[in-house]
Amino acid sequence: MSTPPSDPLLQVETTCGTLLYELQIIWDEVGETDADRDKMLLELERECLEVYRRKVDQANHCRAQLRQTIADSEAELAAICSAMGERPVHIRQSDQNAGSLKEELSKILPQLEEMKKRKIERRNQFLEVLEQVQKITNEIYGYTDSVSSKTVVDETDLSLRKLEELHRQLHELQKEKCDRLKQVQDHLNLLNSLCSVIGMDFKLTVTEVHPSLVDSEGFRSISNNTIGQLATLINKLREVKIQRMQRLQDLAITMLKLWNQMDTPIEEQQIFQSVTCNIAASEDEITEPNTLSVDFINYVEAEVYRLEELKSSKMKELVLKKRSELEEICRKTHLVPDSESSIEDAIEAIESGAVDAANILEQLELQIGKVKEEAFSRKEILEKVEKWLTACDEECWLEEYNRDENRYNAGKGAHLTLKRAEKARSLVNKLPGMVEALASKTMAWEKEREVEFLYDGICLLSMLEEYTILRQEKEQERRRLRDQKKLQGQLIAEQEALYGSKPSPSKPQSVKNGPRYSSGDASNRRVSLGGALLPTHKPDSLHSAKATPQTRPSKKTERMFHNDHLNHRQDDTIPAFSAVRRGLDIADIPVRKRSSSAVNANEPESPLVRKPFSPISSTISSKANMTNKLEDNGGTLQKMLPTNDLSYTTPFKTICLVGEENRTPKATPIPVPCTPSTVSVPMQTAMTPAPPIPFTATKPVEEIPEEIEQSFEERRLAVVLSQTQITSLIQSASLNEDEIVATILLTNARKHSQIMKIKYDISSSH
Amino acid sequence: MTSVHPPPAPGRELSNPPTDGISNLRFSNHSDHLLVSSWDKTVRLYDASANSLRGEFMHGGPVLDCCFHDDSSGFSASADNTVRRIVFSHGKEDILGRHDAPARCIEYSYAAGQVITGSWDKTLKCWDPRGASGQERTLVGTYPQPERVYSLSLVGNRLVVATAGRHVNVYDLRNMSQPEQRRESSLKYQTRCVRCYPNGTGYALSSVEGRVAMEFFDLSEASQAKKYAFKCHRKSEAGRDIVYPVNAIAFHPVYGTFATGGCDGFVNVWDGNNKKRLYQYSKYPTSIAALSFSRDGRLLAVASSYTFEEGDKPHEPDAIFVRSVNEIEVKPKPKVYPNPPA
Repeated sequence: MSTPPSDPLLQVETTCGTLLYELQIIWDEVGETDADRDKMLLELERECLEVYRRKVDQANHCRAQLRQTIADSEAELAAICSAMGERPVHIRQSDQNAGSLKEELSKILPQLEEMKKRKIERRNQFLEVLEQVQKITNEIYGYTDSVSSKTVVDETDLSLRKLEELHRQLHELQKEKCDRLKQVQDHLNLLNSLCSVIGMDFKLTVTEVHPSLVDSEGFRSISNNTIGQLATLINKLREVKIQRMQRLQDLAITMLKLWNQMDTPIEEQQIFQSVTCNIAASEDEITEPNTLSVDFINYVEAEVYRLEELKSSKMKELVLKKRSELEEICRKTHLVPDSESSIEDAIEAIESGAVDAANILEQLELQIGKVKEEAFSRKEILEKVEKWLTACDEECWLEEYNRDENRYNAGKGAHLTLKRAEKARSLVNKLPGMVEALASKTMAWEKEREVEFLYDGICLLSMLEEYTILRQEKEQERRRLRDQKKLQGQLIAEQEALYGSKPSPSKPQSVKNGPRYSSGDASNRRVSLGGALLPTHKPDSLHSAKATPQTRPSKKTERMFHNDHLNHRQDDTIPAFSAVRRGLDIADIPVRKRSSSAVNANEPESPLVRKPFSPISSTISSKANMTNKLEDNGGTLQKMLPTNDLSYTTPFKTICLVGEENRTPKATPIPVPCTPSTVSVPMQTAMTPAPPIPFTATKPVEEIPEEIEQSFEERRLAVVLSQTQITSLIQSASLNEDEIVATILLTNARKHSQIMKIKYDISSSH
Repeated sequence: MTSVHPPPAPGRELSNPPTDGISNLRFSNHSDHLLVSSWDKTVRLYDASANSLRGEFMHGGPVLDCCFHDDSSGFSASADNTVRRIVFSHGKEDILGRHDAPARCIEYSYAAGQVITGSWDKTLKCWDPRGASGQERTLVGTYPQPERVYSLSLVGNRLVVATAGRHVNVYDLRNMSQPEQRRESSLKYQTRCVRCYPNGTGYALSSVEGRVAMEFFDLSEASQAKKYAFKCHRKSEAGRDIVYPVNAIAFHPVYGTFATGGCDGFVNVWDGNNKKRLYQYSKYPTSIAALSFSRDGRLLAVASSYTFEEGDKPHEPDAIFVRSVNEIEVKPKPKVYPNPPA
């Protein structure tokens, strides 16, 4: 081989040859043996061989590695291709002649790179879709978001088909989400209308289900749970609505009924038009807001309640009216209405709800019918009774008239009275016949009906009977009077014969009203017994009958008796309890005014005892009072009050002489000089700032009204004040001692000791 | 028979009594503290169970009445026309207001939260003690009376006013514009004291002439039939009947029986329902000016103090006795006779 000298092998060849030559020279020089030389050369050759072998091995190894790499890459490429579902781009088997291994590798690597890039892209697509799917699924099933962030992609299958499948899935999910959103919206709309109808806060209600449902924009919960809750809520509210609707409709029906019954004016009805128009509506027809709210129902309920109240009051009114109608009829026909079913009881029963007002009305109606019927049957007799009664009245009047001595005196209208008397007389003559006819008629009536004929609750027959008896009595009385008159006439005639003068015609004493025979008034007759027992009174009771009202029922008097009696029996009781009557001091006030001194009280008592019916004059009563009082004390016992000053206020029971000044009762709180010294009085007024009470009394005693009543405390205060005055008087140094002494000397003797002390004080201070 | 029992001791006498006449005394509603007003121009506060003087409050004039507000304060009516509020702990006194004449009586109504005073200026005044000092702030109203007010008593919302001239006005505290009832005393002589029954159905009224009337508010005939009067605090001596004024009435808070005190120095206990005298305590040195049962009715405070019925004259010293009350002395006895129920 002809190679330029630059060939390294050649150079090596040369260097080897030179080196060998050099070695030969060295050896020659050294004189190495041939054997050693051979040995050395052999060694050299072996070492060279060794080096060669090593290099070949190395190269071999390198080639194997390269092949491996290529195979790996190819395998990877194939794997990626298969994962992505693509045909592999490079088919290696086809060209073995592609060149060296390195070329092959360099050809394959970029392909692999690209495939890898594509694979990553594809994976990202997958991730994206999967994430969305996950998200929607979460939304639907209500998982929390945190789990979904770690989406795992199946690396083995990243084919487009799979991707498409995922896309389809995603799409389906999106559609479902959409559906669900719509459903939620529907629910919400429904809820909203329900809430508005039954007057609930929509937002509040919805927030309870899920807070996200409130705002119309943005995310909304569409999970199964939410939808389920919404559905149940709707059901619940719908139930409430139906319930309320029924309630409202009931109320509306009641209301309509009440309107109907009471003819409520249209204006009043119109206010509740919204209620009544829904009376037959079904649940979904009621959509107006608040028509079923609690407030509204309460409002309607209140109206119904008011109407019912109104109705019951009207019913009551009606009952009362009917009742009064019944009573009116009864009154007209002189029947006594059932006392048991008194109107108050009925009203009470209605109010308490025990009885239905309509029921009572019906009963009343029935009663009225019955009474009317009865009235009809009684009519004939009643007319007769009426006639009889008027005849009786006339009789009465006639009697009165007959008693009037001056009846023939011509006066205004005398002719009319005369005429009336004439008529009355003829009527009276007819009376017995009338009574008889009436009695027989009544008897016939009673026989027919087997009931007593009652006139204002009194048996008519007994009335008639009574009347006839009274009439007979009257007849007798009249006869007696006539005899008396005759006797009197004789007497007068005798006197005339004796003295020749005629006594003036005197009215027969005490023309008492005869009993009113005619009167059918039962109560009058009953009361007339009252006065008989009146004059009874206990002699030893302090507050005896002197002030007792004249009409006091006898019962009370008796009881008082009883009480006193009891008191006497009990040793330990309060001494002499006496019933205090309200009027018991009527007679006492004048006494207090009149008898201001003890002298009056000691007046010899007159034996005057007031007659039961005589008027109460102050003189008599005061005397009666005295009498009573003395009776109280057993007539001899004398009372003494230790409080002698009481004479101002109270009538003294006895005389008692205690102090000088007490003889002349004074109202003066401080005893004062009868003739006040002209000097001291102005001085006093000038000097003392004390209230002027005592000075009002510095007038002469005669002028002081004796009536001023004072309590112990008032008198005490006056004394206290007068004392302070005196002290203040003394304290003022400008005063003349004599003046003071003069003033003081004139004051009450009772203060003597004190005055002495004051005097002493003055003198010692000088 | 009560007379079988030996007369009990008069009770413990309180030390440091007032130096002049005692006008009234009252037990607290919360403790055994005793408030005493006197003519010596003081109001004194005693602890009755400890027999100690807790405070003394000077006034500008004789004090005619006093009452408790709570345990820390009280009110007084004075002859210097003032109505005062006394705070015990500070020894402080504010003037609630004034009458035109001496204020005779004072009551505090827990129901109305007001102080009610009666005066000789013929008016009744109501005060709100919570108002700041100064008449225009505290005065609630002035109600004219027919005469000078002599005695007041309260029960619930009822107020009974007894005046000179034997007038008795019954008010409802909720409507003071005019009396609910205008009455005249059933007794013929000057009214000394009026006290309402604790059960609120009526009042007892005593006069200067040894007599007490038991009255009822209800005007129905049935109720009015129950009223009566009885004589008491009298003495028969040498053919003369001596009659003493009845100065004080005090109702027992538990049994509704009542004690009366007269110028004869006696204290009697009565059962108004059964019309019986339950007890008579032994005679005290001088007139009984005031009486008060403690809140539980176990103690009875008796003011033995000359009440000026015979004018200015020497008399026994003023004293306060506190006696423990035996149940037998105040408990109503079962009826012996089938009396008509009173």
